Amino acid sequence: MLPGALAVMAPAALPVASRITAARLPRLGAALLVLLTAACSERAPGSASMPAPGESRTFEGTWSASGSLQTLLLEPGHKASIVSLTGSLLLTGQRGLGVGFQGEVIGLSDSLTGGVGKCVWTDEHGDKVFSDLKGQPLGTGSHVTGTITGGTGRYAGATGSYELQWQYVIASDDGSVSGRAVGLKGRVTLPAAGAAAR
Amino acid sequence: MSAKGRERRRLLARVATFALALGLWFTPIPAGLTSQAWHLFAVFAAAIFSIIVNAFPLLTAAMLAAAAAVLTGTITPAKAFAGFGNASVLLVVVAFLVASSVVKSGLGRRISFLVVSAFGRSTLGLAYSIFLTDAAIAPAFPSNTARSGVLFPIVLSLAQGAGSIPEDEKTRRVGGYLMFCGMASLAVSSALWMTATSVNPIGAEIARQFGLKINFGSWLIAASVPALAAVLMLPLVLYRLFPPGVSATPDAPAAAREALRTMGPLSRDEKVVAVAFMLMVAGWVMAGTLKLDLTAVALAGLGALLATSVLTLDDIAKEGGTLATYLWLAVLFAMSGQLNELGFMGYVGGRLSSALAGVSWPAAYVALMVLYVLMHYLFVSQSSQVLALFGVFVEVGQRAGVPTPLMAFALLFASSYFSTITPQGGSQNVIFVGSGYLQQGELYKLGALTTAFCLLVFLVLGTPWLLLVVR
Repeated sequence: MLPGALAVMAPAALPVASRITAARLPRLGAALLVLLTAACSERAPGSASMPAPGESRTFEGTWSASGSLQTLLLEPGHKASIVSLTGSLLLTGQRGLGVGFQGEVIGLSDSLTGGVGKCVWTDEHGDKVFSDLKGQPLGTGSHVTGTITGGTGRYAGATGSYELQWQYVIASDDGSVSGRAVGLKGRVTLPAAGAAAR
Repeated sequence: MSAKGRERRRLLARVATFALALGLWFTPIPAGLTSQAWHLFAVFAAAIFSIIVNAFPLLTAAMLAAAAAVLTGTITPAKAFAGFGNASVLLVVVAFLVASSVVKSGLGRRISFLVVSAFGRSTLGLAYSIFLTDAAIAPAFPSNTARSGVLFPIVLSLAQGAGSIPEDEKTRRVGGYLMFCGMASLAVSSALWMTATSVNPIGAEIARQFGLKINFGSWLIAASVPALAAVLMLPLVLYRLFPPGVSATPDAPAAAREALRTMGPLSRDEKVVAVAFMLMVAGWVMAGTLKLDLTAVALAGLGALLATSVLTLDDIAKEGGTLATYLWLAVLFAMSGQLNELGFMGYVGGRLSSALAGVSWPAAYVALMVLYVLMHYLFVSQSSQVLALFGVFVEVGQRAGVPTPLMAFALLFASSYFSTITPQGGSQNVIFVGSGYLQQGELYKLGALTTAFCLLVFLVLGTPWLLLVVR
């Protein structure tokens, strides 16, 4: 305490913050929520925008992902990592596969021999697309190809392939990793009517 | 407003919160998102909304949100409670406990007298001393959370030295003003220096993938004009936004000098705390070079203070506010991280920014900046937002024709100054929030206004400056 030293109480200016009434801040919060909800407002495409059975369609997009990386150091200059990533896969172009998916991948990356992994894309209905990944070791600039091996729901029996490139991959000391893949493009074919059921 | 009116208003706010949660939950899931991501957003958005409209305190909202997310099976308990083992969260808590030793030993009081004797002719002078001190020490600290652990005891001592008590409405505002100055100072000083926070090098690394090479010098040149302008203006702006009640204190410097003389030489406890702090600061500054864990350095300091009986177990037991802080911070940290991991943040960022296709580049630039800053309402970690959205926004800016260096630097600076937008917007805020000098509503109002002011300064002064100096 500073006895007496701060006793000179000058008249304070009208608090501007208090003039931002309690009623306005909720409006700001509500506006933000509307903005966010509007950003999410594109609903699931109808069946017309999905590839018809037997039809082949192209797609392209980006994938922002984060997750964990566990690395085992081998001989000098050689390391192997188990990587687990999830994130938002946004599709553009023809939208042959809808607006996007949540993409999840689990894989093994070997700094000498490259990377392999399994990937699952899940859409807003819970339908899934499965693929196998193969490519260069995980890192900035690495190129990966995917082979679509099937799916569930409306993607049952899907086949196709795609490729992507990691624009950047940032790994931290605590084992977390984030990255963004660009140039994701590929083609998917749904089985002809009845084929999936068989 | 009468007590009955306040109660009615709170009840309405609570009803609105639950209506929002249920409304979002049962809204058809947007294409491209999973039900898990959408439902977690419903819970998280309702929690943040409830805090903003004062339906619930932070702790209550966080507890209800965590329970709802786990009990509905939206996220697993392991994911929901992961924040309790997070090193950054733990660092905040330990820094809080260590700070109490500065106050208890009397060292904080001595430091406050020293500061007041030099800058104490007015409350504004004290605020400037906080901003300038922080701006000067910032480049040496790779973590702004660690820096908050150094700055907070000084600010707390200044507040207490001014006779400000959180529970006393008449004197609380001086402390509240100084506390928010501490938060705002950490935000802008982190934008000024590339090495002032761990977020900056991460952003610089991502910017490198867009062909932009950023080093310590180029960052400083780019940030100098807008960040220094913000440093110079913010104490005044905050003074206007949140008048501390006490302005001129012409007798304070002389009184402080007299008080220092009365205190005499450093006591044993003050010496122990001073040495412990110097060692901790050295550890934090050298953490990168010596590969030291920041939280472990803080734990070593706390352990030393307990071992030397400067702090006792009774002192720790009295820190109930720290426990509350730990609980809400850990929960919100984990939930925000999960929203990111489930792809929600990337999805919204991508969708919002891609909606700007076809807009002229200056309009796209301003819109991207505003969106990027507003989206920090959803993040509890600055680095998470940089990792999730920085690259997306730079790319959209590029496509819209915004010069890449301008877009990248502007977003990088925003990644620091937006931290005050919410109390949980940066872990460095939390220790100041926990002091109790500022009420929940004040924190959100001041946070929104301060961030808006910084955004304006960086757009109006920073944009022409960046176009001039960065190619």
